Amino acid sequence: MQVTETLNEGLKRGFTVVVPAAELDSKRTARLAELGKSMNLKGFRPGKVPLAVVKQRYGTAVTGEVLEQAVNDATREVMTERGLRQASQPKVELVRGAAPGDSEDLEFTLELELLPEIAQPDLSQLSLTRLKAEPDAETIDKALADIAKRQRSFETVEETRPAANGDVLEVDFVGKIDGVAFDGGTANDVNVELGGQGFIPGFAEQLEGMSAGEKRTITVTFPADYQAAELAGKEATFDVDAKALKRPVDVAMDDELAKKIGFEGLEQVREAIAGQVRNEYEQLSRMRIKRELLDALATQTDFEAPAGMVEAEFGSIWSRVEQDLKADRLDEEDKGKDEATLRADYRKIAERRVKLGLLLAEIGRVNGVTVTQDEMMRAMRAEAGRYPGQEMQVIEFFRANPQAAESLRGPIFENKVVDYVLELAKVEDKVVTPEELADVPPAEL
Amino acid sequence: MTDILAIRRQAERMSREAMFDVVRAPVITEKATALSEKNQVVFRVAIDATKPQIKAAVEGLFGVKVLAVNTLVQKGKTKRFRGRPGVRSDVKKAFVQLAEGQSIDLSARLA
Repeated sequence: MQVTETLNEGLKRGFTVVVPAAELDSKRTARLAELGKSMNLKGFRPGKVPLAVVKQRYGTAVTGEVLEQAVNDATREVMTERGLRQASQPKVELVRGAAPGDSEDLEFTLELELLPEIAQPDLSQLSLTRLKAEPDAETIDKALADIAKRQRSFETVEETRPAANGDVLEVDFVGKIDGVAFDGGTANDVNVELGGQGFIPGFAEQLEGMSAGEKRTITVTFPADYQAAELAGKEATFDVDAKALKRPVDVAMDDELAKKIGFEGLEQVREAIAGQVRNEYEQLSRMRIKRELLDALATQTDFEAPAGMVEAEFGSIWSRVEQDLKADRLDEEDKGKDEATLRADYRKIAERRVKLGLLLAEIGRVNGVTVTQDEMMRAMRAEAGRYPGQEMQVIEFFRANPQAAESLRGPIFENKVVDYVLELAKVEDKVVTPEELADVPPAEL
Repeated sequence: MTDILAIRRQAERMSREAMFDVVRAPVITEKATALSEKNQVVFRVAIDATKPQIKAAVEGLFGVKVLAVNTLVQKGKTKRFRGRPGVRSDVKKAFVQLAEGQSIDLSARLA
């Protein structure tokens, strides 16, 4: 095998590789002989098929196989011999000797991009701020009030008075179109909340002022986009018979209600809510510090990103942007920019992503961060939990498709590397208000 | 008494279409490939083909010089299908001795 370097420019390398015909031929013969041993051909005892016959039948296929293998082997050899680490699949172009049956030397060119030399940033020099926020009483009280509102009950009002906004009328009604009752337009003992949602527009409003025992006929027009097509846009009359007037009773959030919704007491409910909110804040906080870390790392990196990888990343981003562009769903920020500016912006984003991805991977590799089987299993279970009722199928799917499981590995690895870096970096805690925590500054490019 | 000379004359006048009718297929078995060492080729031929016809056909189709042709008729086996007796077709094979230095590439397409 003969290798000549034809290109050495930045991260790009080009090679011309020549594999002599004799080498190919001996490989091919060996492969054919191996095939012949196990071949079962009519007219021949097993394993007694002459090489000439095997060659005549399978020669072309084997030649292709051998060529492919030769190319792969040669590529690998070039890489290991020179100690190169590739960033992308090398581009192989056959120059000659590719036709089957030829006894020509195989010559092909290799074009590839290398992973850049990444200098390890000094992680202990990084100084980051971890934002912290405690859930305040107001937030919890508001959550409690929400729960209480959902639990409120109704009591019947004894006195006869016209129904006002906020009251609930228990009614029977018969709906008619052109004097004929229609399907689904008749019901008994329905609670209609005046000023509430859930009925045809105008229905609840026209009941205002009715008192218990009163009858009334109202006219309502179904909205044009009503889900039942045969009713949409039609005018209907409803004979409404009010049977009782009720009014909602607000329930105070106390120990009793807490017990009703499955807690021991009010304190526990408060704690549960606080825990939930704290969790939310922690996630936000982690997101913030991760962002800060990535920003900090991005400023420290000055290696060149492999153009091929940037191009691929940009391609995937751009295809999404183009879809958005067509559907007119661009972010406010991106509107008004012309295509060239957009392209330049997203190319920068792609480059940043590739660089950070490479850097994180490198930090992880150098420091021996690995994803354990356990963590993979946990991630799979978490993923499965998102499809309630089909957990088993999801787990099965991951087991059957290792590459799908592999896609889970990326984020775990990234998180572990981030954890690792955070441990080394100087992290300062800072207490802020929840609003400040949620106020994420726009991404820097 | 068969007129051998008449048969030879008839074989020499054979058309190209008729040649394809005479030589049906190569026989590719262990024995047939082993015979290539002796420069012999084996064909399945029409059951009614004569040696002069086979010689003319092989020479005409493959462009080689044939020294001799030996034939045999392999009798079809008696088989039973749902208890009814039946007979497989007989097959005639021709062992063709080529002149020294000549060969037939069976994998190549016929001209």
